Amino acid sequence: MARAEKIKDATLRSGVEEAYGQLRAGDPSGAVATLADAFGDLLVRHPELLEFSTTVRGRAFPLVARWPAFGANLVLDPERAAPPRIEFVRQRFAVSEALTYYEFLVDLAVDQGL
Amino acid sequence: MKFGLFYELQLPKPPGAATWDPDAERRIYHEMLEQVELADKLGFDYVFEVEHHFLEEYSHSSAPELMMAALSQRTRNIRLGHGIVLTPPGYNHPARVAERLAALDILSDGRVEFGSGESSSDMELGGFGVDRSRKKAMWEEATREICTMMTQEPYQGFEGEFFSMPARNVVPKPLQKPHPPLWVAASRRETTMVAARLGMASLGFGFETPEELGDRSEEYWRLVREECFPIGHAINPGLAVLSTFMAAETDEEAVRRSADGPGFFAYSLGYYYSPLTGGSHQPGATNIYDRFNELPSEQRDGRGPLVAARLMSRDQIAAEEPEDEVQRALFRAARSGQAIGTTDTIRRNIKAYEHHHLDVLVLVAQCGDRKHEHIMESIERFGTEVLPEFKERHESEHRPWREKQLSGVDLPINSSI
Repeated sequence: MARAEKIKDATLRSGVEEAYGQLRAGDPSGAVATLADAFGDLLVRHPELLEFSTTVRGRAFPLVARWPAFGANLVLDPERAAPPRIEFVRQRFAVSEALTYYEFLVDLAVDQGL
Repeated sequence: MKFGLFYELQLPKPPGAATWDPDAERRIYHEMLEQVELADKLGFDYVFEVEHHFLEEYSHSSAPELMMAALSQRTRNIRLGHGIVLTPPGYNHPARVAERLAALDILSDGRVEFGSGESSSDMELGGFGVDRSRKKAMWEEATREICTMMTQEPYQGFEGEFFSMPARNVVPKPLQKPHPPLWVAASRRETTMVAARLGMASLGFGFETPEELGDRSEEYWRLVREECFPIGHAINPGLAVLSTFMAAETDEEAVRRSADGPGFFAYSLGYYYSPLTGGSHQPGATNIYDRFNELPSEQRDGRGPLVAARLMSRDQIAAEEPEDEVQRALFRAARSGQAIGTTDTIRRNIKAYEHHHLDVLVLVAQCGDRKHEHIMESIERFGTEVLPEFKERHESEHRPWREKQLSGVDLPINSSI
């Protein structure tokens, strides 16, 4: 069973599956755009994700801050006055970059039981 | 499970000193040659050596291809692993990487393992003008083309985003066909899964615990079977994990000899890879070992792997750990799968990796200011008292398990595992 199939949130799963289809069709840039949309939408619907943290080499980081910064970058307002958003500093992405975004989002959803 | 040794060529500065003893670099290079020669005689399967630049004290291994060339003439069987080559073109032109790999493969009679990666320290990225946000894309483009350069005759040339070159016959070609086995540096779970999808073995630089490995293994192998679109011309399915290593006659002696090695390894790694400290490093001036020694003991003692692996919180560790210093170190080693102790203790600790079907355990002996004679004794003890039984089970149990995992995979495979 593919790990993405374990995602319970139908909207998110649909976005992830669409992105994977784009990846297999040779469109990693399209896949990143789809994954960024799905991630942004998830953060709006589940703002509690912004409060979770993870530990990297002994230091705590906001969990969502591990969203890769390959050019579709997460922008968090430190005051939380504005909603989080994804800022695109480029439109072209490599397969490995798209795969990393994909794996991050699937892991986040499955690990958080979404 | 197979076994390797891992080298950063660490060289802490003497306490209070601005630089090293004039003989220090020559000494650690020649010690590594002796250590790997011994490991080869005892049946260790791999040596992996990093490529890092400008990371003084943390790693003095900037030209691993030269060390590997020397080792190719002093060893007979051990596989010579780049752990890893930095393939973004700003570090190394892809054609030069392909040429060096092939030449080394010829010199070693086909013993090269091609590990690749990007690094992420400001010292290296800034030193070579590599754009941090594009380094993964650079790695992918260059690694894909390096594989093609080693197989295509002549190489058809390439117009890419990060490098271009006209058609040329890149010679020599490697002895192993179509090219040496592919590995990628993976310190995050996502990268291990990317490795599976691209048909590469994952060289786990995160010191993953047996439990973390177990969590990754099932998905890794499923991806290899079902969702692999290879970056090269043959896949190398496999999982390797790093573990700290020191064997001695008693547990207490092993802990004493292990000293601050793993702690300094973790500290200096964090120092260079953190944007706060790594970016402000003063080349040729900072004494990182002094800074490490100034830390409170609880920050030097290696609880990091347990916390990082989310196996235990710092409070939980404190509540469960023995009070005695040595017993506490052994407790931590056991919980995180480290190979520190007597050979009996090590055997017990690392069996958990075997249980989770690990392919290669890569042992980190040379770190911090550990002593050469202690490392040699560790290699000797492990090679004679632990390694043989694991090797036997690798053939009798693990190899059939791998074949089962790969049933139905019709992609070409070149793997030494």
